[in-house]
Amino acid sequence: MSVMTPIFEGLWDHYILWSVIVGAIAFGWLYHHSFWFTSKDGEKVPNVDGLEVGVFPKHNDDMRLEVAWTILPFLLIVWLTYYSWEPLDAMWTSADGGVHGYECDYDDPKYTGSNNSMNSLGIIKSDCYHVIEITGQQWFWSFDCLELNESLCDTGTETMEVYGSVPVLSLKKGETYLAVMDSIDVTHAPWFQHLGTKEDTVPGMETTLWLPISDDMTEESMVLCAEYCGDAHSIMAAKLVAHN
Amino acid sequence: MLKARSKVAIMTLVAIAAMLALPSAQSRPEGVSGVQESGCMCHGNLPSDSVVASIDGLPQSYNYSEEYEITVSFQGGPTQEGNVNQGGFHLWASEGTLSVNDATAQVFNQNEVGHTDAGNDQVSWTVTWTAPATDKNVDFVLHVNSVNGNEDGAAGGSTGDMWSKATVSLGGPIEVLEAADPFVVLGVLIIVSASLLAITLAYVFYRRDPDAFDWDNFAPWLADWMTSTDHKKIGTLYFVAGLFFLGVGGIMAMIIRIQLAVPGNDFLTQEQYNQFFTLHGTTMIFLAAMPMINGFANWMIPLQLGAADLALPRINAMSFWLQPFAALLIFTGVFSGHGADTGWTGYAPYVVSEGAHHGTTMWAAGQIMLVASSTLTGINFLTTMAVMRAPGMGWMQMPLFSWSILVANVMLFLSIPAFGVGLIQVYLDRVVGTAFYDIAAGGDPLLWSHLFWYFGHPEVYVVVVPSFGIISEVIATSSRRSVFGYRSMVYAMAGIGIVAFIVYGHHMFTSGMSPTLRFVTMLTTMLVAVPTGIKVFNWLMTMHGGSLVYRTHTLWALGFLVTFTLGGISGMFFPSIAMDTHLHESYFVVAHFHYVLVGGTVFGFFSGIYYWWPKATGKMLSEKLGVLHFLTAFVSYNALFWPMHRLGVWGMTRRHHTYFVTTEEALGSLPMEAAGWNMFITVSGFLFFFSNFIMVFNMIASSIRGEDAPDDPWGGWSFEWMTSSPPPAHTLYKLDDGSWGIPTLRDANEHIANEPGWLSTWFGKLLVSDDDTEEAAH
Repeated sequence: MSVMTPIFEGLWDHYILWSVIVGAIAFGWLYHHSFWFTSKDGEKVPNVDGLEVGVFPKHNDDMRLEVAWTILPFLLIVWLTYYSWEPLDAMWTSADGGVHGYECDYDDPKYTGSNNSMNSLGIIKSDCYHVIEITGQQWFWSFDCLELNESLCDTGTETMEVYGSVPVLSLKKGETYLAVMDSIDVTHAPWFQHLGTKEDTVPGMETTLWLPISDDMTEESMVLCAEYCGDAHSIMAAKLVAHN
Repeated sequence: MLKARSKVAIMTLVAIAAMLALPSAQSRPEGVSGVQESGCMCHGNLPSDSVVASIDGLPQSYNYSEEYEITVSFQGGPTQEGNVNQGGFHLWASEGTLSVNDATAQVFNQNEVGHTDAGNDQVSWTVTWTAPATDKNVDFVLHVNSVNGNEDGAAGGSTGDMWSKATVSLGGPIEVLEAADPFVVLGVLIIVSASLLAITLAYVFYRRDPDAFDWDNFAPWLADWMTSTDHKKIGTLYFVAGLFFLGVGGIMAMIIRIQLAVPGNDFLTQEQYNQFFTLHGTTMIFLAAMPMINGFANWMIPLQLGAADLALPRINAMSFWLQPFAALLIFTGVFSGHGADTGWTGYAPYVVSEGAHHGTTMWAAGQIMLVASSTLTGINFLTTMAVMRAPGMGWMQMPLFSWSILVANVMLFLSIPAFGVGLIQVYLDRVVGTAFYDIAAGGDPLLWSHLFWYFGHPEVYVVVVPSFGIISEVIATSSRRSVFGYRSMVYAMAGIGIVAFIVYGHHMFTSGMSPTLRFVTMLTTMLVAVPTGIKVFNWLMTMHGGSLVYRTHTLWALGFLVTFTLGGISGMFFPSIAMDTHLHESYFVVAHFHYVLVGGTVFGFFSGIYYWWPKATGKMLSEKLGVLHFLTAFVSYNALFWPMHRLGVWGMTRRHHTYFVTTEEALGSLPMEAAGWNMFITVSGFLFFFSNFIMVFNMIASSIRGEDAPDDPWGGWSFEWMTSSPPPAHTLYKLDDGSWGIPTLRDANEHIANEPGWLSTWFGKLLVSDDDTEEAAH
C-alpha cells in the first residue's frame, strides 16, 4: 500500500474527475474567448455597451445565466459533500458504537479481536477496538500500550539511518486502535503517513485518533510531527510497524 | 525654557547613548567568544607575553582522515625545573577528532583535550588529531598555564602563575570557502536592496531637475515626501514599501528553496529555517500584500470616486508611517540572531513558551502596530466611500475596484480586532507574565487558534478581493465591454465577505476543536465555491461578444483566471475530511495557498500595475518587456508551485527544514523521485524570482525614457481616466466644458439610476446630508 489509503484514493479520484470537468469548462471557455473575441490595438470596434469616460456603462447581464452559475456550483458542492459524508463519518466515528463498535471486552468468551475489514469505499469497520496512549513532547513521541499484551501492541526504539533513535509502535494487522493523546508542552500532531490521518496533541486537553490497521497495511511506515513545535520539529519522528 | 526642538535633540542623544551602551551588557552566559574559552581554567587574570605557547606537528593542509601527532608546549613564565607543578594545557580543535597517547593528557570530548594530574609536571605534551574525512577549515586554539608550583594555601595555588594562548588554522586538500551564515546573507541582501532603492531615489530626484541636484533642494523634496498628506504620494510610498518587502520576502523564499533543493541538506539549521518561514509569511502578508493593496486604494479610490483626496488625509499619512516602524520591530529579532520562529500563525502555547525566540515578542509588537495601521486606513477608505462619491454616483455605480476595497475593509474591520486582542494577550504573556496561554495556569491554547483564524481566514480574502476588483476593471476594459453582471459581482463579493467569517474552522480540522463546529465549518467551506464561481463565470462572460485587446495587463488578467481557478479547485479538496486528514499541513496546502495568494493576489497586482502605471506616472511601460515578464513569470510560477501538490500527497510536511527519501537502505518519508522534483522547484523558484526584475527594469526604463501617456490609454469609463496623466497635485478632473473640477457621474441606465434600491434608501437614512446640518444650525 502506498501513502494513499484506499479511502483517500476513492475520494481523490472522484474529486479529480470533477476538477477536470470544471477545469475543462472554465479553461475551454477561456481559451475559446481569448482567441475568438479579439481585436487589434487601435482597431475600430462597435461600442456595444456605449462605454464613455465619466458615464456608468449600460448593464451587461443576463439573470438566467447568473442564476445558472449560482445554482450549478451549489448543486455540485451538495453532491461533493454527500459523497464525502460516509468517509468523513468513518474518520471521526464515535467511540461509542461507531463503525469500530465499543472497546474490546477481553473477558468476553466470544472475543476474537477487532477483525477489521475494508469495504469497497476503503472504509474500515471493526467489531471492537483497543485503547493505546500517545504523548507528544519536545521533541519525541511516547507510546504506551496500556494493558494490551505484546501480540497486540508493542513499543520500543530503533536507530534509523537519518532520524537517529526513534520510538517504534508495533501494532497488529487486522486490529483497530483508538489513540488517546495528550501533550506535555506545546501542540504537536502525529501524522501516520500510511494511514492518511493526523490529529493535534494539545497540552491540557485530550484528543483522540483512530488507527485502523488493515491486513494489507505496509509493514513499516513513518510517523512525523505535522504541527510546528520548535527547533527539532522536523526530526520528531517515529516508526509504525504493522505485524501479523 | 528649552524649545521643543532642543528637547527632541537631547532625547535623541540620550536614546543613541542608550543604544550604544546596550550591546556591551553581557546577557548570555556563554559570552561572545564561545566554546574555545570554556575549557581554560586560566591561572591569573591576563595573558602574559613572557609565556610563548606553540603547536607543532600540524601540516599546512591535511589529508582526509589521516592521523597527526601534535606536540603542544610552551616556554617562559615562572615555570622551572623542580617545581611541584610546571604547567598545564587545553587544546580545542573545531573539526576532526582529538585523542591522547598516554596518561599525561585526557579527552574531554572529540574537540577538546587537556592535561591530567600526571601531566601537571611538564611543559610539553603530545596528542593525536585525526583529520576530518571532508574538506573543512580547521581552527586550533591552545591555552597553556605556566606554573610556579607554590602550594595551595594562603598564597594561593595559582598566584604568580601566568597563561597564554596560541591559534593555528589549516585547510583540507581542497581549500573551501567558509560557509556564509544565512542571516548574514539575508542582512547583506536587504542592505544591498535598500542601497539600490536609495540610489534609485537619488537618481529619480536627479532626473527631476539635473540642475537642482544639491542638498538645499533635496532636503525639502525629501521632507515633502515624508510629511505629505497627498493620497497619491502616500500611495506611491505604500507601493515602494510593498515592492521592497515583496523582494525581501522573495529573498527569504529563495533561501528556503536552497535548503530544500536536496534531501537532508544542512544549508540552514532547523532553528534558522524556522525563522525564515515565519518571516517569509509575515513579510509577504503584512508587509508586501497589505501595503500594495493600500497603495492601489490610496491612488485609485479618490480618483475612481471623483474626489479630490481621501476624507482623512492626515490619518492616511499616519497609517503609512506606522508601517516602516512596525517592519523594523518585526525584523528586530533577526538582527540579534533570534528572529520570531513561530510560523506566521504563531500557535499557542508555543508562541508564549520558553522555547520560542526573544524576537517573537518584538514580532508580536510590530504586528500590533500593523493592526492599528490597517484599522486607521480602513476608517479612511470607508469614510471616503460613504461621503465623497461624486454627485450622481450611488453605491451601485461605484467601480468594482472601489467595491472590492469596501468589502475588504468591512471584512478587516470585523476580523482584525480579534487578532489585535490575541496579539496583545501574547505580548502580555511574554512580557508581563500574564497567563492567557499558560496551560499550567488554566490557559486555553485553542483560544489563540480561534482568534487567529477568525482573523486569518478573512485576512486572506482581504488580500485577494482587491485583486478581484482589479481583474474586473482590466477584463472589462480590455474586452471593451461593460463588466458582465455588475450587480451579481457586487453581491458575490459581499457574499465572500460574509462566508469568510463562518469558514475559518477549516484551518482547525485536526485541532481537537468541537466536532460540531468542524461539521459546520466544513459545510460553509464548501459554500465559498459559489460566490467565487459566480465571479469566474462572470469574468469569462464579460469577454463574450467583446473585442479583447492584448496588452500586458490583459495577459496578467487571463493568467490570473487560470491560476486562481486552479487554486480554487485545489481548495475544494480540503473540506472533504477523509482527504483533509492526510493533506493538512502538507505541501498540498502550500501549493494551494500559493496558487491563490500568488496566482490570485500577486498576479492581480501585476495586472493593476501595468493597467494604472500610465495614469500614475504619465509614462507608458514597454509592452515588449511586459509580455516577456508575463511569459517568463507565468511559466516559472507554475513550474514552481504545481509539483508541490504531488509532493504533499506523497507526504512532504510543511515547516520541516529538511526531508528524507526512501531508498533501498533507509526508510524516509518520501519516495525517491521527490528529490528530483524538489530540485526542479528550486530552479523554477529562482527563475520566477528573477523574472520579476524585468518589471522593475521596465518601471525604471519607463520613468527615464517612456512615451508620454494619454489621459485614457485603454478606454476605461471610470473617473480616474477623466483627469490628466499624472493627475495634478490637487486632484481635479477635466470637465466637459473644458474647465477643471469635481465631475458628475451620468448613468447610461437612467431608469435604474433614478430608482434608489432598498439598500441605498436604507443607507441614505443613516447619513445626515450637508443640507440638514446647515438647517439644524440655523
